[in-house]
Amino acid sequence: MNNGQTSIRDALYEAPGPRARRWIAAGTAAVLLLLAALIYGVIHQFAINGQLDARYWSFFARYTTWRFIGNGLAGTLTAALTAGVITFFAGLLLMLGRISGIRPLEWLCTALIEFSRGVPTLLFIYFFFLVVPQFGIKLQPIWKIAMPVAISAAGVVAEVLRSGVNAVPKGQTEAAVSLGMQKGSVFFKIVFPQALRYVVPALISEVVIVLKDTTFAYVVNYADLMQNAKVLISNYDALLSVYLVVAIIYILINYILNKLSVAVARRGETAKPVRSR
Amino acid sequence: MEQVEKNVNNVENVPVIELRHVDKHFGELHVLKDINLSVKKGEVVVVIGPSGSGKSTLCRTINRLETIDSGEILIDGTKMPEEGRKLAGLRSQIGMVFQSFNLFAHKTILDNVTIAPMDVLHKSKKEAREEAMELLKRVGVDNQAAKVPAQLSGGQQQRVAIARALAMHPKAILFDEPTSALDPEMIGEVLDVMTGLAKDGMTMVIVTHEMNFARRVADRVIFMDDGSIIEEAAPEEFFEHPKTRRAQDFLNSVKAH
Repeated sequence: MNNGQTSIRDALYEAPGPRARRWIAAGTAAVLLLLAALIYGVIHQFAINGQLDARYWSFFARYTTWRFIGNGLAGTLTAALTAGVITFFAGLLLMLGRISGIRPLEWLCTALIEFSRGVPTLLFIYFFFLVVPQFGIKLQPIWKIAMPVAISAAGVVAEVLRSGVNAVPKGQTEAAVSLGMQKGSVFFKIVFPQALRYVVPALISEVVIVLKDTTFAYVVNYADLMQNAKVLISNYDALLSVYLVVAIIYILINYILNKLSVAVARRGETAKPVRSR
Repeated sequence: MEQVEKNVNNVENVPVIELRHVDKHFGELHVLKDINLSVKKGEVVVVIGPSGSGKSTLCRTINRLETIDSGEILIDGTKMPEEGRKLAGLRSQIGMVFQSFNLFAHKTILDNVTIAPMDVLHKSKKEAREEAMELLKRVGVDNQAAKVPAQLSGGQQQRVAIARALAMHPKAILFDEPTSALDPEMIGEVLDVMTGLAKDGMTMVIVTHEMNFARRVADRVIFMDDGSIIEEAAPEEFFEHPKTRRAQDFLNSVKAH
Protein backbone atom coordinates (compact mmCIF):
# COMPACT_ATOMS: atom_id res chain seq x y z
CA MET A 1 0.00 0.00 0.00
CA ASN A 2 2.77 2.44 0.79
CA ASN A 3 5.24 3.27 -1.95
CA GLY A 4 2.41 2.60 -4.40
CA GLN A 5 4.23 4.46 -7.16
CA THR A 6 7.38 2.38 -7.13
CA SER A 7 5.46 -0.86 -6.95
CA ILE A 8 3.37 0.07 -10.01
CA ARG A 9 6.59 1.02 -11.77
CA ASP A 10 8.18 -2.24 -10.80
CA ALA A 11 5.18 -4.15 -12.05
CA LEU A 12 5.20 -2.34 -15.39
CA TYR A 13 8.93 -2.31 -16.03
CA GLU A 14 10.78 -5.50 -15.45
CA ALA A 15 14.49 -5.54 -16.21
CA PRO A 16 14.88 -5.46 -20.04
CA GLY A 17 16.28 -8.52 -21.85
CA PRO A 18 18.64 -8.45 -24.87
CA ARG A 19 15.94 -7.87 -27.47
CA ALA A 20 14.28 -5.18 -25.38
CA ARG A 21 17.68 -3.49 -24.99
CA ARG A 22 18.10 -3.41 -28.79
CA TRP A 23 14.65 -1.85 -29.16
CA ILE A 24 15.48 0.75 -26.52
CA ALA A 25 18.76 1.61 -28.30
CA ALA A 26 16.96 1.98 -31.64
CA GLY A 27 14.22 4.08 -30.06
CA THR A 28 16.76 6.35 -28.37
CA ALA A 29 18.54 6.97 -31.65
CA ALA A 30 15.30 7.70 -33.51
CA VAL A 31 14.05 10.18 -30.89
CA LEU A 32 17.40 11.97 -30.74
CA LEU A 33 17.37 12.32 -34.52
CA LEU A 34 13.84 13.69 -34.43
CA LEU A 35 14.79 16.21 -31.74
CA ALA A 36 17.79 17.39 -33.75
CA ALA A 37 15.58 17.82 -36.81
CA LEU A 38 13.03 19.78 -34.76
CA ILE A 39 15.64 22.14 -33.34
CA TYR A 40 17.16 22.63 -36.78
CA GLY A 41 13.71 23.29 -38.22
CA VAL A 42 12.91 25.95 -35.60
CA ILE A 43 16.23 27.74 -36.03
CA HIS A 44 15.88 27.50 -39.78
CA GLN A 45 12.43 29.05 -39.67
CA PHE A 46 13.74 31.80 -37.39
CA ALA A 47 16.53 32.48 -39.88
CA ILE A 48 14.21 32.52 -42.88
CA ASN A 49 11.88 34.98 -41.18
CA GLY A 50 14.73 37.16 -40.02
CA GLN A 51 14.10 36.46 -36.33
CA LEU A 52 17.79 35.88 -35.77
CA ASP A 53 18.58 39.42 -36.91
CA ALA A 54 20.79 41.29 -34.49
CA ARG A 55 18.11 43.98 -33.96
CA TYR A 56 15.84 41.42 -32.26
CA TRP A 57 18.54 40.27 -29.86
CA SER A 58 21.13 43.03 -29.45
CA PHE A 59 19.19 44.92 -26.73
CA PHE A 60 19.57 41.87 -24.48
CA ALA A 61 23.24 42.85 -24.21
CA ARG A 62 22.25 46.06 -22.44
CA TYR A 63 22.18 46.36 -18.67
CA THR A 64 19.03 48.50 -18.76
CA THR A 65 17.09 45.75 -20.51
CA TRP A 66 17.91 43.27 -17.80
CA ARG A 67 17.21 45.78 -15.06
CA PHE A 68 13.80 46.31 -16.58
CA ILE A 69 13.20 42.57 -16.79
CA GLY A 70 14.50 42.27 -13.23
CA ASN A 71 11.99 44.90 -12.04
CA GLY A 72 9.23 42.97 -13.74
CA LEU A 73 10.42 39.75 -12.14
CA ALA A 74 10.45 41.45 -8.74
CA GLY A 75 6.88 42.60 -9.40
CA THR A 76 5.83 39.08 -10.32
CA LEU A 77 7.48 37.57 -7.25
CA THR A 78 6.01 40.22 -4.95
CA ALA A 79 2.52 39.68 -6.33
CA ALA A 80 2.90 35.88 -6.20
CA LEU A 81 4.24 35.92 -2.65
CA THR A 82 1.52 38.30 -1.43
CA ALA A 83 -1.16 36.24 -3.15
CA GLY A 84 0.43 33.03 -1.85
CA VAL A 85 0.37 34.14 1.78
CA ILE A 86 -3.23 35.36 1.53
CA THR A 87 -4.20 32.12 -0.23
CA PHE A 88 -2.68 29.99 2.51
CA PHE A 89 -4.42 31.73 5.39
CA ALA A 90 -7.74 32.08 3.54
CA GLY A 91 -7.52 28.39 2.63
CA LEU A 92 -6.73 27.50 6.23
CA LEU A 93 -9.72 29.46 7.51
CA LEU A 94 -12.06 27.93 4.91
CA MET A 95 -10.79 24.45 5.78
CA LEU A 96 -11.22 25.04 9.53
CA GLY A 97 -14.75 26.29 8.89
CA ARG A 98 -15.55 23.29 6.77
CA ILE A 99 -14.45 20.82 9.47
CA SER A 100 -15.71 22.91 12.40
CA GLY A 101 -18.70 20.71 13.17
CA ILE A 102 -20.96 23.80 13.15
CA ARG A 103 -23.35 22.94 10.36
CA PRO A 104 -24.27 26.41 8.97
CA LEU A 105 -20.59 27.41 9.04
CA GLU A 106 -19.71 24.19 7.23
CA TRP A 107 -22.29 24.95 4.53
CA LEU A 108 -21.05 28.52 4.18
CA CYS A 109 -17.42 27.44 3.84
CA THR A 110 -18.29 24.64 1.43
CA ALA A 111 -20.19 27.16 -0.72
CA LEU A 112 -17.29 29.63 -0.62
CA ILE A 113 -14.82 26.89 -1.54
CA GLU A 114 -16.94 25.84 -4.53
CA PHE A 115 -17.34 29.48 -5.57
CA SER A 116 -13.60 30.06 -5.35
CA ARG A 117 -12.82 26.95 -7.34
CA GLY A 118 -15.56 27.40 -9.91
CA VAL A 119 -15.11 31.03 -11.00
CA PRO A 120 -12.28 31.87 -13.42
CA THR A 121 -9.47 34.04 -12.06
CA LEU A 122 -10.06 36.70 -14.70
CA LEU A 123 -13.59 37.27 -13.44
CA PHE A 124 -12.30 37.93 -9.93
CA ILE A 125 -9.75 40.32 -11.43
CA TYR A 126 -12.44 42.25 -13.30
CA PHE A 127 -14.36 42.43 -10.05
CA PHE A 128 -11.45 44.04 -8.22
CA PHE A 129 -10.52 46.19 -11.23
CA LEU A 130 -13.98 47.40 -12.28
CA VAL A 131 -16.51 46.79 -9.51
CA VAL A 132 -14.63 47.51 -6.31
CA PRO A 133 -13.57 51.06 -7.40
CA GLN A 134 -17.24 51.88 -8.05
CA PHE A 135 -17.79 51.68 -4.30
CA GLY A 136 -15.15 54.36 -3.86
CA ILE A 137 -12.55 51.91 -2.61
CA LYS A 138 -9.14 52.79 -4.00
CA LEU A 139 -6.79 49.85 -4.21
CA GLN A 140 -3.15 49.85 -5.24
CA PRO A 141 -2.43 47.76 -8.34
CA ILE A 142 -0.70 45.04 -6.31
CA TRP A 143 -3.92 44.33 -4.39
CA LYS A 144 -5.95 44.37 -7.59
CA ILE A 145 -3.88 41.43 -8.79
CA ALA A 146 -2.94 39.67 -5.52
CA MET A 147 -6.44 39.59 -4.00
CA PRO A 148 -8.32 38.02 -6.93
CA VAL A 149 -5.53 35.52 -7.62
CA ALA A 150 -5.55 34.55 -3.94
CA ILE A 151 -9.33 34.24 -3.84
CA SER A 152 -9.37 31.98 -6.85
CA ALA A 153 -6.68 29.71 -5.34
CA ALA A 154 -7.95 29.67 -1.74
CA GLY A 155 -10.68 27.11 -2.41
CA VAL A 156 -8.25 24.60 -3.86
CA VAL A 157 -5.82 25.16 -0.99
CA ALA A 158 -8.63 24.64 1.54
CA GLU A 159 -9.44 21.28 -0.03
CA VAL A 160 -5.77 20.30 -0.27
CA LEU A 161 -5.29 21.11 3.42
CA ARG A 162 -8.44 19.20 4.31
CA SER A 163 -7.22 16.13 2.47
CA GLY A 164 -3.97 16.43 4.45
CA VAL A 165 -5.82 16.66 7.75
CA ASN A 166 -7.90 13.62 6.82
CA ALA A 167 -4.74 11.68 5.97
CA VAL A 168 -3.29 12.04 9.47
CA PRO A 169 -4.05 8.75 11.24
CA LYS A 170 -6.70 8.94 13.93
CA GLY A 171 -4.29 7.40 16.44
CA GLN A 172 -2.30 10.64 16.48
CA THR A 173 -5.32 12.55 17.76
CA GLU A 174 -6.22 9.80 20.21
CA ALA A 175 -2.70 9.78 21.66
CA ALA A 176 -2.71 13.56 22.09
CA VAL A 177 -6.19 13.58 23.61
CA SER A 178 -5.33 10.77 26.01
CA LEU A 179 -2.42 12.85 27.31
CA GLY A 180 -4.91 15.55 28.28
CA MET A 181 -4.17 17.97 25.45
CA GLN A 182 -7.03 20.28 24.51
CA LYS A 183 -8.63 20.58 21.07
CA GLY A 184 -6.62 23.58 19.89
CA SER A 185 -3.31 22.08 20.97
CA VAL A 186 -4.17 18.74 19.43
CA PHE A 187 -4.96 20.36 16.10
CA PHE A 188 -2.17 22.91 15.82
CA LYS A 189 0.63 20.96 17.54
CA ILE A 190 -0.09 17.42 16.39
CA VAL A 191 -2.49 17.14 13.44
CA PHE A 192 -1.84 20.21 11.32
CA PRO A 193 1.98 20.03 11.19
CA GLN A 194 1.69 16.45 9.94
CA ALA A 195 -1.09 17.33 7.49
CA LEU A 196 1.17 20.02 6.02
CA ARG A 197 3.94 17.50 5.39
CA TYR A 198 1.54 15.33 3.43
CA VAL A 199 0.39 18.16 1.19
CA VAL A 200 3.53 20.27 0.66
CA PRO A 201 3.99 18.97 -2.92
CA ALA A 202 0.35 19.80 -3.76
CA LEU A 203 0.68 23.21 -2.12
CA ILE A 204 3.79 24.02 -4.15
CA SER A 205 1.95 23.04 -7.34
CA GLU A 206 -0.67 25.56 -6.28
CA VAL A 207 2.05 28.20 -5.83
CA VAL A 208 3.03 27.55 -9.45
CA ILE A 209 -0.57 28.18 -10.50
CA VAL A 210 -0.68 31.37 -8.43
CA LEU A 211 2.55 32.53 -10.02
CA LYS A 212 1.22 31.90 -13.51
CA ASP A 213 -2.06 33.62 -12.63
CA THR A 214 -0.15 36.80 -11.77
CA THR A 215 0.43 37.24 -15.53
CA PHE A 216 -3.10 38.71 -15.53
CA ALA A 217 -1.39 41.75 -13.99
CA TYR A 218 -1.49 43.50 -17.36
CA VAL A 219 -5.25 43.84 -16.91
CA VAL A 220 -4.80 46.03 -13.84
CA ASN A 221 -1.61 47.83 -15.00
CA TYR A 222 0.60 46.22 -12.41
CA ALA A 223 4.23 46.03 -13.52
CA ASP A 224 5.00 42.33 -13.49
CA LEU A 225 7.33 40.37 -15.74
CA MET A 226 4.68 39.96 -18.42
CA GLN A 227 3.70 43.62 -18.38
CA ASN A 228 7.33 44.73 -18.69
CA ALA A 229 7.86 42.21 -21.46
CA LYS A 230 5.05 43.93 -23.37
CA VAL A 231 6.81 47.27 -22.96
CA LEU A 232 10.06 45.81 -24.30
CA ILE A 233 8.19 44.30 -27.22
CA SER A 234 6.68 47.61 -28.26
CA ASN A 235 9.94 49.50 -27.70
CA TYR A 236 12.09 47.19 -29.78
CA ASP A 237 9.41 45.70 -32.00
CA ALA A 238 10.73 42.28 -30.96
CA LEU A 239 7.90 39.94 -30.13
CA LEU A 240 9.37 36.47 -30.43
CA SER A 241 12.73 37.01 -28.78
CA VAL A 242 11.26 38.77 -25.75
CA TYR A 243 8.52 36.19 -25.22
CA LEU A 244 11.08 33.42 -25.58
CA VAL A 245 13.32 34.90 -22.88
CA VAL A 246 10.36 35.58 -20.57
CA ALA A 247 9.03 32.06 -21.03
CA ILE A 248 12.43 30.65 -20.11
CA ILE A 249 12.45 32.76 -16.92
CA TYR A 250 8.97 31.45 -15.96
CA ILE A 251 10.03 27.89 -16.69
CA LEU A 252 13.16 28.30 -14.55
CA ILE A 253 11.23 29.64 -11.56
CA ASN A 254 8.59 26.94 -11.74
CA TYR A 255 11.21 24.26 -12.30
CA ILE A 256 12.97 25.38 -9.12
CA LEU A 257 9.65 25.32 -7.24
CA ASN A 258 8.94 21.78 -8.45
CA LYS A 259 12.42 20.60 -7.48
CA LEU A 260 11.79 22.17 -4.09
CA SER A 261 8.53 20.29 -3.64
CA VAL A 262 10.22 16.99 -4.48
CA ALA A 263 12.99 17.71 -1.99
CA VAL A 264 10.54 18.65 0.74
CA ALA A 265 8.39 15.60 0.05
CA ARG A 266 11.45 13.39 0.34
CA ARG A 267 12.47 14.98 3.62
CA GLY A 268 8.97 14.41 4.98
CA GLU A 269 9.09 10.68 4.23
CA THR A 270 10.87 9.80 7.47
CA ALA A 271 8.41 11.83 9.47
CA LYS A 272 5.34 9.94 8.38
CA PRO A 273 3.76 7.62 10.91
CA VAL A 274 4.60 3.96 10.67
CA ARG A 275 1.43 2.00 10.27
CA SER A 276 1.40 -1.32 11.97
CA ARG A 277 0.33 -4.16 9.68
CA MET B 1 -17.45 21.49 46.21
CA GLU B 2 -13.66 21.45 45.83
CA GLN B 3 -13.33 20.57 49.49
CA VAL B 4 -15.74 17.67 49.27
CA GLU B 5 -13.91 16.21 46.27
CA LYS B 6 -10.61 16.42 48.06
CA ASN B 7 -11.95 14.65 51.11
CA VAL B 8 -13.32 11.91 48.97
CA ASN B 9 -10.01 11.53 47.20
CA ASN B 10 -8.13 11.14 50.42
CA VAL B 11 -10.06 8.09 51.45
CA GLU B 12 -7.88 5.10 50.65
CA ASN B 13 -10.77 2.90 49.59
CA VAL B 14 -11.91 5.03 46.68
CA PRO B 15 -11.02 3.11 43.51
CA VAL B 16 -8.79 4.85 40.99
CA ILE B 17 -11.07 3.70 38.18
CA GLU B 18 -14.68 2.73 38.61
CA LEU B 19 -17.25 1.76 35.99
CA ARG B 20 -20.90 1.54 37.01
CA HIS B 21 -23.48 -0.08 34.77
CA VAL B 22 -21.72 0.98 31.60
CA ASP B 23 -23.59 0.24 28.36
CA LYS B 24 -22.53 0.93 24.80
CA HIS B 25 -23.86 0.17 21.34
CA PHE B 26 -22.21 0.43 17.95
CA GLY B 27 -25.42 0.83 15.98
CA GLU B 28 -27.25 -2.47 16.38
CA LEU B 29 -24.32 -4.11 18.11
CA HIS B 30 -24.41 -4.14 21.91
CA VAL B 31 -20.67 -3.98 22.61
CA LEU B 32 -20.66 -3.33 26.35
CA LYS B 33 -23.39 -4.84 28.51
CA ASP B 34 -23.81 -3.49 32.03
CA ILE B 35 -20.11 -3.39 32.84
CA ASN B 36 -19.18 -2.94 36.50
CA LEU B 37 -15.52 -2.73 37.35
CA SER B 38 -13.39 -1.08 39.95
CA VAL B 39 -9.65 -0.86 40.05
CA LYS B 40 -7.92 -0.07 43.32
CA LYS B 41 -4.72 1.92 43.69
CA GLY B 42 -1.70 -0.18 42.78
CA GLU B 43 -3.81 -2.96 41.32
CA VAL B 44 -2.99 -4.65 37.99
CA VAL B 45 -6.11 -5.81 36.19
CA VAL B 46 -5.67 -7.86 33.04
CA VAL B 47 -8.59 -8.11 30.62
CA ILE B 48 -8.67 -11.10 28.30
CA GLY B 49 -11.21 -12.59 25.95
CA PRO B 50 -11.76 -13.53 22.33
CA SER B 51 -11.53 -10.84 19.66
CA GLY B 52 -14.73 -8.87 19.37
CA SER B 53 -15.55 -9.47 23.02
CA GLY B 54 -15.44 -5.74 23.76
CA LYS B 55 -12.26 -5.69 25.82
CA SER B 56 -10.54 -3.00 23.71
CA THR B 57 -13.72 -0.92 23.71
CA LEU B 58 -13.88 -1.25 27.48
CA CYS B 59 -10.31 0.00 27.76
CA ARG B 60 -11.02 2.94 25.45
CA THR B 61 -14.20 4.02 27.25
CA ILE B 62 -12.26 4.54 30.47
CA ASN B 63 -10.68 7.75 29.18
CA ARG B 64 -13.60 8.45 26.89
CA LEU B 65 -11.94 7.71 23.57
CA GLU B 66 -15.24 5.88 23.13
CA THR B 67 -18.44 7.45 24.40
CA ILE B 68 -20.88 5.42 26.44
CA ASP B 69 -24.66 5.23 26.17
CA SER B 70 -25.43 4.92 29.86
CA GLY B 71 -23.82 4.29 33.20
CA GLU B 72 -20.94 6.25 34.63
CA ILE B 73 -17.19 6.20 34.82
CA LEU B 74 -15.38 7.67 37.82
CA ILE B 75 -11.72 8.53 38.03
CA ASP B 76 -10.57 8.75 41.63
CA GLY B 77 -14.16 9.38 42.70
CA THR B 78 -14.77 12.13 40.12
CA LYS B 79 -17.27 11.47 37.38
CA MET B 80 -15.83 11.64 33.88
CA PRO B 81 -17.41 14.70 32.20
CA GLU B 82 -18.51 14.56 28.58
CA GLU B 83 -16.26 17.28 27.18
CA GLY B 84 -14.17 20.34 27.73
CA ARG B 85 -11.38 21.31 30.08
CA LYS B 86 -12.45 19.01 32.89
CA LEU B 87 -12.46 15.99 30.59
CA ALA B 88 -8.97 16.90 29.33
CA GLY B 89 -7.89 17.33 32.93
CA LEU B 90 -9.12 13.89 33.94
CA ARG B 91 -7.68 12.30 30.83
CA SER B 92 -4.28 13.71 31.70
CA GLN B 93 -4.41 11.65 34.91
CA ILE B 94 -4.92 8.39 33.04
CA GLY B 95 -2.16 7.26 30.72
CA MET B 96 -2.86 5.24 27.62
CA VAL B 97 -0.64 2.93 25.57
CA PHE B 98 -1.97 1.87 22.18
CA GLN B 99 -1.56 -1.21 20.05
CA SER B 100 -0.05 0.84 17.20
CA PHE B 101 2.12 3.03 19.50
CA ASN B 102 0.77 6.28 18.01
CA LEU B 103 3.95 8.21 18.66
CA PHE B 104 3.80 11.70 17.18
CA ALA B 105 5.41 11.08 13.82
CA HIS B 106 6.71 14.61 13.28
CA LYS B 107 8.41 14.93 16.67
CA THR B 108 11.65 13.50 17.96
CA ILE B 109 11.55 10.81 20.64
CA LEU B 110 12.47 13.38 23.27
CA ASP B 111 9.78 15.81 22.09
CA ASN B 112 7.22 13.02 22.11
CA VAL B 113 7.79 12.69 25.83
CA THR B 114 8.06 16.40 26.66
CA ILE B 115 5.15 17.81 24.63
CA ALA B 116 2.31 16.93 27.01
CA PRO B 117 4.09 17.94 30.26
CA MET B 118 4.87 21.29 28.65
CA ASP B 119 1.48 21.80 26.96
CA VAL B 120 -0.78 20.42 29.69
CA LEU B 121 1.17 20.73 32.95
CA HIS B 122 3.00 23.91 31.79
CA LYS B 123 6.38 22.61 32.81
CA SER B 124 9.47 24.46 31.64
CA LYS B 125 11.33 22.99 28.69
CA LYS B 126 14.36 22.31 30.85
CA GLU B 127 12.42 20.51 33.55
CA ALA B 128 10.40 18.49 31.03
CA ARG B 129 13.56 17.47 29.17
CA GLU B 130 15.43 16.36 32.25
CA GLU B 131 12.52 14.25 33.38
CA ALA B 132 11.96 12.86 29.89
CA MET B 133 15.58 11.74 29.65
CA GLU B 134 15.24 9.95 32.98
CA LEU B 135 12.10 8.18 31.79
CA LEU B 136 13.69 7.23 28.47
CA LYS B 137 16.61 5.80 30.42
CA ARG B 138 14.20 3.84 32.57
CA VAL B 139 12.66 2.18 29.50
CA GLY B 140 16.07 1.80 27.87
CA VAL B 141 15.79 4.09 24.83
CA ASP B 142 17.61 7.21 26.05
CA ASN B 143 20.24 6.74 23.32
CA GLN B 144 17.52 7.24 20.66
CA ALA B 145 16.24 10.57 22.01
CA ALA B 146 17.15 12.62 18.94
CA LYS B 147 15.60 10.29 16.37
CA VAL B 148 12.07 10.34 14.96
CA PRO B 149 9.68 7.43 15.63
CA ALA B 150 9.99 5.92 12.14
CA GLN B 151 13.68 5.24 12.82
CA LEU B 152 12.94 3.03 15.83
CA SER B 153 11.88 -0.60 16.03
CA GLY B 154 8.35 -1.41 17.16
CA GLY B 155 9.53 -2.51 20.57
CA GLN B 156 11.49 0.69 21.06
CA GLN B 157 8.53 2.78 19.92
CA GLN B 158 6.22 1.09 22.37
CA ARG B 159 8.67 1.68 25.21
CA VAL B 160 8.81 5.36 24.25
CA ALA B 161 5.01 5.38 24.31
CA ILE B 162 5.13 4.07 27.88
CA ALA B 163 7.65 6.78 28.83
CA ARG B 164 5.37 9.37 27.22
CA ALA B 165 2.48 8.17 29.38
CA LEU B 166 4.62 8.13 32.54
CA ALA B 167 5.75 11.72 31.95
CA MET B 168 2.26 12.89 32.98
CA HIS B 169 2.53 11.12 36.34
CA PRO B 170 -0.74 9.32 35.74
CA LYS B 171 -2.76 7.68 38.48
CA ALA B 172 -3.23 4.69 36.23
CA ILE B 173 -2.17 3.52 32.79
CA LEU B 174 -4.40 1.72 30.29
CA PHE B 175 -2.72 -0.71 27.89
CA ASP B 176 -4.76 -1.57 24.79
CA GLU B 177 -3.11 -4.71 23.38
CA PRO B 178 0.36 -3.19 23.70
CA THR B 179 2.23 -6.11 22.12
CA SER B 180 -0.20 -7.21 19.42
CA ALA B 181 1.50 -5.21 16.66
CA LEU B 182 5.02 -6.27 17.60
CA ASP B 183 7.32 -8.84 16.03
CA PRO B 184 7.72 -11.79 18.40
CA GLU B 185 11.30 -10.96 19.37
CA MET B 186 10.27 -7.52 20.60
CA ILE B 187 7.37 -8.53 22.81
CA GLY B 188 9.63 -9.45 25.72
CA GLU B 189 11.28 -6.03 26.02
CA VAL B 190 7.91 -4.30 26.28
CA LEU B 191 6.48 -6.80 28.75
CA ASP B 192 9.63 -6.39 30.88
CA VAL B 193 9.05 -2.65 31.15
CA MET B 194 5.41 -3.30 32.09
CA THR B 195 6.39 -5.87 34.71
CA GLY B 196 8.75 -3.27 36.18
CA LEU B 197 5.90 -0.76 36.38
CA ALA B 198 3.68 -3.31 38.12
CA LYS B 199 6.40 -3.97 40.69
CA ASP B 200 6.71 -0.22 41.33
CA GLY B 201 3.03 -0.15 42.25
CA MET B 202 1.56 1.48 39.13
CA THR B 203 -2.18 0.98 38.75
CA MET B 204 -2.74 -0.69 35.40
CA VAL B 205 -5.54 -2.02 33.21
CA ILE B 206 -4.07 -4.27 30.52
CA VAL B 207 -5.88 -5.75 27.54
CA THR B 208 -3.67 -8.51 26.20
CA HIS B 209 -3.34 -11.89 24.56
CA GLU B 210 -0.14 -12.74 26.43
CA MET B 211 -1.42 -15.39 28.82
CA ASN B 212 1.86 -16.12 30.59
CA PHE B 213 2.39 -12.44 31.21
CA ALA B 214 -1.17 -12.09 32.50
CA ARG B 215 -0.61 -14.91 34.91
CA ARG B 216 2.65 -13.49 36.17
CA VAL B 217 1.67 -9.85 36.56
CA ALA B 218 -2.07 -9.66 37.16
CA ASP B 219 -3.64 -9.16 40.57
CA ARG B 220 -6.97 -9.91 38.98
CA VAL B 221 -8.02 -11.34 35.64
CA ILE B 222 -11.19 -10.28 33.89
CA PHE B 223 -12.61 -12.51 31.20
CA MET B 224 -14.92 -10.87 28.72
CA ASP B 225 -17.09 -12.36 26.03
CA ASP B 226 -19.81 -10.85 23.88
CA GLY B 227 -19.71 -7.49 25.66
CA SER B 228 -20.04 -8.80 29.20
CA ILE B 229 -17.66 -9.58 32.02
CA ILE B 230 -18.08 -13.35 32.37
CA GLU B 231 -15.49 -14.10 34.99
CA GLU B 232 -13.39 -12.16 37.44
CA ALA B 233 -10.79 -13.95 39.55
CA ALA B 234 -7.21 -14.09 40.80
CA PRO B 235 -4.90 -15.31 38.00
CA GLU B 236 -4.06 -18.68 39.58
CA GLU B 237 -7.68 -19.48 40.11
CA PHE B 238 -8.79 -18.30 36.68
CA PHE B 239 -6.13 -20.15 34.71
CA GLU B 240 -6.31 -23.35 36.79
CA HIS B 241 -10.03 -23.53 37.49
CA PRO B 242 -12.06 -21.42 35.10
CA LYS B 243 -15.66 -21.58 36.22
CA THR B 244 -17.57 -20.93 33.03
CA ARG B 245 -17.71 -23.01 29.89
CA ARG B 246 -16.80 -20.01 27.73
CA ALA B 247 -13.64 -19.29 29.71
CA GLN B 248 -12.66 -22.95 29.53
CA ASP B 249 -13.16 -23.01 25.76
CA PHE B 250 -11.19 -19.81 25.35
CA LEU B 251 -8.27 -21.03 27.45
CA ASN B 252 -8.21 -24.32 25.57
CA SER B 253 -8.17 -22.60 22.20
CA VAL B 254 -5.31 -20.36 23.35
CA LYS B 255 -3.36 -23.33 24.71
CA ALA B 256 -3.88 -25.33 21.54
CA HIS B 257 -0.93 -23.74 19.73
